[in-house]
Amino acid sequence: MFMGYFPSVQDKNWGGQRGAGVPLPKDSGQKLSSPSCLPDPILNSLRLPQAWLDTQDRHLGHYVNGKWLKPEHRNSVPCQDPITGERLAICLQAQAEDVVAAVEAAGTAFENWSGLPGASRAQHLLRLAKMIQKHQRLLWTLESLVTGRAVREVRDGDVPLAQQLLQYHAVQAYTQEEVLAGWEPMGVIGLILSPTFSFLEMMWRICPALAVGCTVVVLVPPASPTPLLLAQLAGELGSFPGILNVISGPASLGPVLASQPGVQKVTFCGAIEEGRALRRTLAGKGAELGLALGAESLLMLTEAADVDSAVEGVVDAAWSDRSAGGLRLLIQESVWDETMRRLQERMARLRGGRGLDGAVDMGARGAAAHDLAQRYVREARSQGAQVFQAGAVPSDSPFFPPTLVSDLPPASPCTQAEVPWPVVVASPFRTAKEALAVANGTPRGASASVWSERLGQALELGYGLRVGTVWINAHGLRNAEVPTGGCKESGSSWSGGPDGLYEYLRPSGTPARLSYFSENLNYGTFGLAVPSTLPAGPEIGPSPATPYGLLIGGHFQAPGARSSRPIQDAQGNLHGYVAEGGAKDIRGAVEAAHQAAPGWVGQSPGARATLLWALATALERREAALTSRLERHGTELKDAKVEVELSARQLRAWGARAQAQGHVLQVAGLKGPVLRLREPLGVLAIVCPDEWPLLAFVSLLAAALAHGNTVVLVPSGACPIPALELCQDMAALLPAGLVNVVTGDRDHLTRCLALHQDVQALWYFGSAQGSQFVEWASAGNLKPVWVNRGCPWAWDQEAKGAGRELGLRAARTKALWLPMGD
Amino acid sequence: MSARNRGTELDQVGGATEEGVDLPSSLHPTGMHTSGFGCFPMEPEALNLSWISKMQVNQPAVLRRAQQIQARRTVKKEWQAAWLLKAVTFIDLTTLSGDDTSSNIQRLCYKAKYPIREDLLKTLNMHDKGLTTAAVCVYPARVCDAVRALKAAGCTIPVASVATGFPAGQTHLKTRLEEIRLAVEDGATEIDVVINRTLVLTGQWEALYDEIRQFRKACGEAHLKTILATGELGSLTNVYKASMIAMMAGSDFIKTSTGKETVNATFPVAIVMLRAIRDFFWKTGNKVGFKPAGGIRSAKDSLAWLSLVKEELGDEWLTPDLFRIGASTLLSDIERQIYHHVTGRYAAYHDLPMS
Repeated sequence: MFMGYFPSVQDKNWGGQRGAGVPLPKDSGQKLSSPSCLPDPILNSLRLPQAWLDTQDRHLGHYVNGKWLKPEHRNSVPCQDPITGERLAICLQAQAEDVVAAVEAAGTAFENWSGLPGASRAQHLLRLAKMIQKHQRLLWTLESLVTGRAVREVRDGDVPLAQQLLQYHAVQAYTQEEVLAGWEPMGVIGLILSPTFSFLEMMWRICPALAVGCTVVVLVPPASPTPLLLAQLAGELGSFPGILNVISGPASLGPVLASQPGVQKVTFCGAIEEGRALRRTLAGKGAELGLALGAESLLMLTEAADVDSAVEGVVDAAWSDRSAGGLRLLIQESVWDETMRRLQERMARLRGGRGLDGAVDMGARGAAAHDLAQRYVREARSQGAQVFQAGAVPSDSPFFPPTLVSDLPPASPCTQAEVPWPVVVASPFRTAKEALAVANGTPRGASASVWSERLGQALELGYGLRVGTVWINAHGLRNAEVPTGGCKESGSSWSGGPDGLYEYLRPSGTPARLSYFSENLNYGTFGLAVPSTLPAGPEIGPSPATPYGLLIGGHFQAPGARSSRPIQDAQGNLHGYVAEGGAKDIRGAVEAAHQAAPGWVGQSPGARATLLWALATALERREAALTSRLERHGTELKDAKVEVELSARQLRAWGARAQAQGHVLQVAGLKGPVLRLREPLGVLAIVCPDEWPLLAFVSLLAAALAHGNTVVLVPSGACPIPALELCQDMAALLPAGLVNVVTGDRDHLTRCLALHQDVQALWYFGSAQGSQFVEWASAGNLKPVWVNRGCPWAWDQEAKGAGRELGLRAARTKALWLPMGD
Repeated sequence: MSARNRGTELDQVGGATEEGVDLPSSLHPTGMHTSGFGCFPMEPEALNLSWISKMQVNQPAVLRRAQQIQARRTVKKEWQAAWLLKAVTFIDLTTLSGDDTSSNIQRLCYKAKYPIREDLLKTLNMHDKGLTTAAVCVYPARVCDAVRALKAAGCTIPVASVATGFPAGQTHLKTRLEEIRLAVEDGATEIDVVINRTLVLTGQWEALYDEIRQFRKACGEAHLKTILATGELGSLTNVYKASMIAMMAGSDFIKTSTGKETVNATFPVAIVMLRAIRDFFWKTGNKVGFKPAGGIRSAKDSLAWLSLVKEELGDEWLTPDLFRIGASTLLSDIERQIYHHVTGRYAAYHDLPMS
């Protein structure tokens, strides 16, 4: 394609006159279905994967329980060479009963596998790593042949990383009993891969799952032999056949896999819209859902950058077959011309061709990716963009050239849409501050790189970007020890590093997840209307007047609806009225929380701890009032005292933990550190449980604040008054807007919060129906949600309560790569 | 079969342009070896410090690029052989030892004229293409020997001489200049000078520029190859700046190292120098050549160097006018690889003539 590398030498000097004495390897006898015009080095590489396909009679099924599974009467799809269209093999499509068989196999294997000591699992993973090492050539040629990606990238990037992943996770398995005490494996894990993701994405997820003791069923798209080969290699180790099962089938099987009883978690890697649909489908189902969505990346090139190196960064990001997605490129105006010139010059030297050719930068990715890119470019052009492609490619070619799009009007639909492979969309910015605003102004947040030789600027941009991974002066580095994930619509599932392990663990003693799906729940009307409330008789009792109003933006205010709801005590008498909050109040509360966010994020953990401790002191001062309120709601005096005491302790404990956040990773092959940062989620909405009205409220609040979030809370519905009592201290002590408390009809408020696009995470502790609704509604902005599925928790116990999980859930990880050298 | 078809396949695939290493024209002796270069020596540019003041090179990024380049262009079989023959034409066949005498200089010159065994070339049908190395490179005191030996062999391969207090450059400017003049008088048509590293490390860019301009003047008609001794410059940013200054002052070539430093020609350094060459070309329209030297010993290395130049600068730079490899033992490894390509067997040491 783009430029011939050395054909002319051959043509002019060799072609006609080579006869005498030059031995030429001939394709002796071996029947190859590929066109005979390919150069010998490529033909040689083709033989190995073809021979492997021949062992299966070019007829691939599924690999379940250590055996090939080739059921009769199934549809099949051809597996094609993406360049020639030649049929390499036939792949059977799974049906529901195959999925059932795979989940059963995994379930049986889980009994053994999870019971093993970590050291034995570590041994097994290392054996698999060795197995991959022994057959790496088959692995890389097969992957390159089938996907069309450049063999260099698979050989030098993916395969070594796959081995490294196994080795790293073997070590994690070995130390599991010690380091991860108090956690247990979830069970059978379902992994759903979409076609654009390579086998490496599967490795990123099965390695931690297997390491901690889970077993896996992977649903791969039709015609992807490499995961099947990996499963076969794992199966041929002999012991523990059912721990890794691979079935290939259409995307429509995803929900089938996810709703199998016994599947405890489903991880999905694919397109954003598919993930959204899956989130909605799986609301209320048994399996937890982890999403890793989209493949777009971002590169920010400042005027202080080494421009030539940054241009190589663009090549790494979009035009090297490393990434599955396109790139959004932000260039500082002062270096715009220079950068564009260098980019175009570099593009002219990129070379496309057959993936198995060792001198190729980019292969082809099949018809679907080609059409996606074509459509995007056509639309961008029609919306007024400039499109630069090096070299013309005939319209019927399977290759798509590297493409640089610029001058896209800021408001055009293409600017908002995800950029597909291999397109780079360049846009200018004036200042670093503006760059940050533009970069954070998309709904996606997977990865980004910052190019600047000024340390201060690079760090500020790196910390400011709302994405999962930031590379400073590099792009696309990955390592098993560094967690990789995203935020916003890129999903909040993590792989690699410690975060990857917790994806497949749950606190010991947690009951297995069962489906609590309710057919009757109407998403359209759940919590839509607020039942009207009337005055409910005389307020009786010795207690002082109840605090009244909604805490929004630092002070108590009357609800928008200007009405109240009565709260009854344990005897059924009226305890007092609380404000009836509604949609307008939620809007105001979220706005106030957003305004307070930058200030609170900027506080040092020490300052946060000080405030939490001050709040604990204030709480203790109110002990008498709080105890009597709790008592009136039916709590024993002794228990009420314990609850108040524990609440103060929670505030202090989280204050102290706030100081120990994040750590530095040392990565092989990289000089310089990788920082694992724990960043706040942003505006966090919390719907508190009815049980433990004070303790649950305070525990959730303390963890959220300690990690730098600003919060909108809906307190216990039955007993909101202790929480409101504490609000009086919060109004006085905390910065305005940091904590906002809205009382009212819980279903209605939950609906408003779950559907709010600018609420960045939601924790819901309430009814099963409410949980299901929250899961369904979170698909809107794909906010991470945490629901109790209608089960009450023992908040006074560290293990049964939310203790361990709370710390994980209250912040998101960000990996900041800082390569060094001069 | 496959050679021709590869071209066709690429054409079908994506309209490949017929570019590549163009062996015949550059191998042809006409015009090339008369003065060593097809063009006149470079005219110096005025010193422009704004070209270097803002430059910052990111070392880790350049290291990564250097690693990739070695893996991204794997050439095999007949393509490899063609590239290796091409590499021979870039070699400045060098001996820079204290024990050089006229006899080993003579052997070196003969090897420069006949770099690959005749029968091997014949098999490849390259025996009548005038395949020689680009130059021979010796100490100033041996220039006369080399000129005489080459004349006796009946060829016009240029003689390059190192000068200016090679390899440290720590002698007085006056003697350094005189050294150049004497080498030119003896018949050297290319002078490889070393720069004064002190001036780089202390940031005296004007002084460095002035010195190299005086070298340029002392060379007269001879071509000036400026050795930056990159292993002693401290940082890649300094390598870029020194390259730029050397080019502004009128160097025809910039060269990585003397071969006597502890760190010699490395890919990261080369990438920075090549980018400087491209920037200079974009700013002035002048093409300056590039010469890596020191530590390039294997045929495989030489291929990586060729593809590096091709990737960073393009095919126009793949001619002996603009690209040289300074090496002493590289040639014998290339010859061994060609031997293997032609015969299918690995050569014993005595199968190939020594240089």
